[in-house]
Amino acid sequence: MAANAEIFFEHDRWGRNLTWSLVLHVAVAGSILFYAVVVPTSHGEGWGVGGGGDAMGVTLVSTVPLPAKPTQTQNVLANDSKGVTQSEPKPVEKVPEPDAIPIPDKISKTKPVPKTSATKEKAKPEPVQEADNVVPFGQGGPVSGPYGTFSANGAKGGFGFTGGGGDFGSRYAWYVRVVQQKVSENWLKYEVDPRISTAQRVYITFDVMRDGRPANVQVEQSSGVPSLDQSATRAIQRIDTFGPLPSDYAANKVSVEFWFDYKR
Amino acid sequence: MMRFSKLFLPLIFLASAFAQDWIKTGTGLGVDKVRLAVPDFTAAGQDPKNAELLKVFNETLWNDLDNAGIFDMVSKSFYPLGQVGNPADVKFESWSAAPPSAAMLAFGNLSASGNGMTVQGWLYDVKNVTSPQVLGKQYQDAATSDAARITAHKFADEIIFRLGGGIAGIAESKIYFVSSRGGHKEVWAMDYDGANQHAVTHLNSISLSPRVSPDGSRIAFSSMTKNGWEILMYSLDLNRLVSFPRFGGTNLSPAWSSDGTKLAFSSSRSGDPEIYTVDSSGANLKRVTSFKGPDVSPAWNRKTGAQIAWVSGRTGLPQVYTMEADGTNVQRLTDQGYAVSPAWSPNGQFLVVSWMRKYGPGAPGAQDIYIMDIASKQWVQLTHDGGRNDFPCWSPDGRHIIFQSSRAGTLQIWTMLADGTNQKQLTFAGSNTQPNWSWK
Repeated sequence: MAANAEIFFEHDRWGRNLTWSLVLHVAVAGSILFYAVVVPTSHGEGWGVGGGGDAMGVTLVSTVPLPAKPTQTQNVLANDSKGVTQSEPKPVEKVPEPDAIPIPDKISKTKPVPKTSATKEKAKPEPVQEADNVVPFGQGGPVSGPYGTFSANGAKGGFGFTGGGGDFGSRYAWYVRVVQQKVSENWLKYEVDPRISTAQRVYITFDVMRDGRPANVQVEQSSGVPSLDQSATRAIQRIDTFGPLPSDYAANKVSVEFWFDYKR
Repeated sequence: MMRFSKLFLPLIFLASAFAQDWIKTGTGLGVDKVRLAVPDFTAAGQDPKNAELLKVFNETLWNDLDNAGIFDMVSKSFYPLGQVGNPADVKFESWSAAPPSAAMLAFGNLSASGNGMTVQGWLYDVKNVTSPQVLGKQYQDAATSDAARITAHKFADEIIFRLGGGIAGIAESKIYFVSSRGGHKEVWAMDYDGANQHAVTHLNSISLSPRVSPDGSRIAFSSMTKNGWEILMYSLDLNRLVSFPRFGGTNLSPAWSSDGTKLAFSSSRSGDPEIYTVDSSGANLKRVTSFKGPDVSPAWNRKTGAQIAWVSGRTGLPQVYTMEADGTNVQRLTDQGYAVSPAWSPNGQFLVVSWMRKYGPGAPGAQDIYIMDIASKQWVQLTHDGGRNDFPCWSPDGRHIIFQSSRAGTLQIWTMLADGTNQKQLTFAGSNTQPNWSWK
């Protein structure tokens, strides 16, 4: 107990330490003031101010290799895309009850198919080019393969095929879909002249080689807008591979005609 | 000449028509996700191990395909009754018609016998009744749940490769990251889905920013050594450190060039932190930047290997810049705020950065992940959920981004699709940071 008492009653001389402490505190406070008040120019204002790059925000960069949402869907099935508002009036008006489940648009779409397919078949022995110009594929021609269904609303065409065994599109519809998706992903619309709001359809032809690489990219029919033609060509050239052709497919390459509809 | 061509055109067309197939297609058709149905694989034998293996296999396959980002998975409650284990079991109508409305069907069977396991898997285009088969595969491996997981990854990758346009699936890829759950910050590794987490280094120091080489054989990282922060090289083949020169100063954030021959890193050996490049052997050190202010966090253009994106503090707050690999043609990409951790997408088109667009007093900006189209400088914000999100890194297929986030309370590793959807937490124990995705 005595030892403890001694510690408490022992008096240190802390006058000197106290002075040092005071001096240091004043010095720190002074330097803070100095930097805050006297030299404020180089700090603070410059932070985070714009000026270097010209970055701009956009709603969606569509070219990430993920399937973009289709522009318009009136699909009644479980789907997170829009279409709910539009699907309300239609089933009530048009379709009697048992037929209410299938999408009405598809029914109406299938009607023109047989009509025009007849004209298309007639055209076959004649030069193929002319037939192309008359009947854009998918609007009238035989909706090829099982994927004919996904020429949904707003679509300006479907896909078709000619020549050879003629069955690539129907046998390997999944591959056609891949081609379509890949090209759509890689088409950068901002490459097109911003003054253009709408343009003629541009047709590009290219081959898909056995290993899936695109080759022989050509503008088959120009849109009349050079920047659009170029952006379409670049979309194909930008693609490394579509994936190897189906292994049980015999030929060495498939030719693709791809059209681009530009609308701003 | 004209007449000649008109005369012969039909002939030429006929000839070429017989030689090859044509596809005609265009934009504006709406590219929807493929609706894929994956009924559980069935047991093809009576072996007691079947049930356990099937559980792992089915779960892994479903998750892989669900995570791929290119499929619209048909909910299992829509499936028609009855098991589908063989091509003979497929009733096309019931799969392609209304309730499931599937475009594709992946199915198959698994049988264990003794120590071996055989898996048969098919991918069918159910809307194409005449020639439905897109893929048919048979796998043989040991009858363990690890092997079942790997087999499921392989089959999922095959499906994704076919239907995803020739981009290899990522189900077999790895993620390297820094974890402190053992008490020290060490380099750890895990599968892309968060399974199989294990420590790689045991240095009992502080290791940061692991970067795996393009061939997957080595990891470069920065670590606190006796002489300060140095770049260390760890061989995944030898499972030990291999020699790499010490440069002096503080050396941080190594980055591999896409051909694996070079590393870029930041070093303060000359005072300011600057970007240097060096051969992967450690020879041929070159200084690339010489600007006032720190220059850190280099990232190579993964497609061309000819450009480097990095973070420079020359204007005060860190901003992301790009330059050619020799230091010319410097371009500023971010216009404001506080931008760090650039990473280049595999197709060379995008940078992903961690960005506080509003920074400073009175502007409590959240740190979020953005992707930026380099040519047009357009950007998109991917995370919005609060927390600090940093160290983004692309998956090899360019469809996923992995990053660290503090939104769960501690720093953990999260993954998402490159459009910001489908965010998932991968790590849960300890603090896990600075993820790096393997190149394949």
